[in-house]
Amino acid sequence: MTLRFHRALYAGTAIDAALGRFAQLANTGFDRREEVDHFVVEVTASSEARAKKIAHELANFALGLTIEQGGPDR
Amino acid sequence: MSESLLGMPPARVLADLGEGCVILTVDASMYPQHAVYAAAYCFIARCYVWLDRAEPEAFRVVLTAKQPTDAEGLRALAGEFSNELLASAWRREITRLNRGLIESVTMQAFGGAMGPPSLDDLEAFDFSDEPFDDPLGIAQSWEDKYRKPKPGAETGAETGAAVAAETDPQGGAAT
Repeated sequence: MTLRFHRALYAGTAIDAALGRFAQLANTGFDRREEVDHFVVEVTASSEARAKKIAHELANFALGLTIEQGGPDR
Repeated sequence: MSESLLGMPPARVLADLGEGCVILTVDASMYPQHAVYAAAYCFIARCYVWLDRAEPEAFRVVLTAKQPTDAEGLRALAGEFSNELLASAWRREITRLNRGLIESVTMQAFGGAMGPPSLDDLEAFDFSDEPFDDPLGIAQSWEDKYRKPKPGAETGAETGAAVAAETDPQGGAAT
């Protein structure tokens, strides 16, 4: 499952922190890359349903950290 | 497959019943980004919140329920988010309008928390200045301002006249 975080809405540092937290999950892989307007994260897991749930939780976590730090990185 | 929800503007709110999510398009000229953040933060515990730029002047907010829900539940979710978004934007506007007052009150609070003035501060203080100017009598207590005279009380003029009559030898009243 692919997550495309818009740079104007999500902080790259928040996404990295979220990935660091979720990296300990078993049988789950994350691939991060950057595009012009987006941070892109590919989530792979043992099943599509599990990947989807982890992607949702990761996005929520990254959004929460972004809001707590006051918005995207400057 | 996205479809419109009953009572919601189709151009702004769409639902995907298969995914259990509702998609809102928020006008960025009416709702600042921090208002969207504030509303989104309130819903993080209840659902998965995804933010994106639908177009340069609009946000796309996707709310996916954590528990399975029907069209009515999604409609309630969209309505509650819209209300929270409006409240957040309005709170932010009130804060902006009252910034001067908030800063003044905060400064006074910090000033009070600094403790009593030192001897040097008291020595430098100008006591010759008028302490308080109250031409309208706002600081006067209600009892002082509206005190009724006692029924038997004499005014100053009446008292003076009585004393003069007693001391006047030609008045005949004094002995």
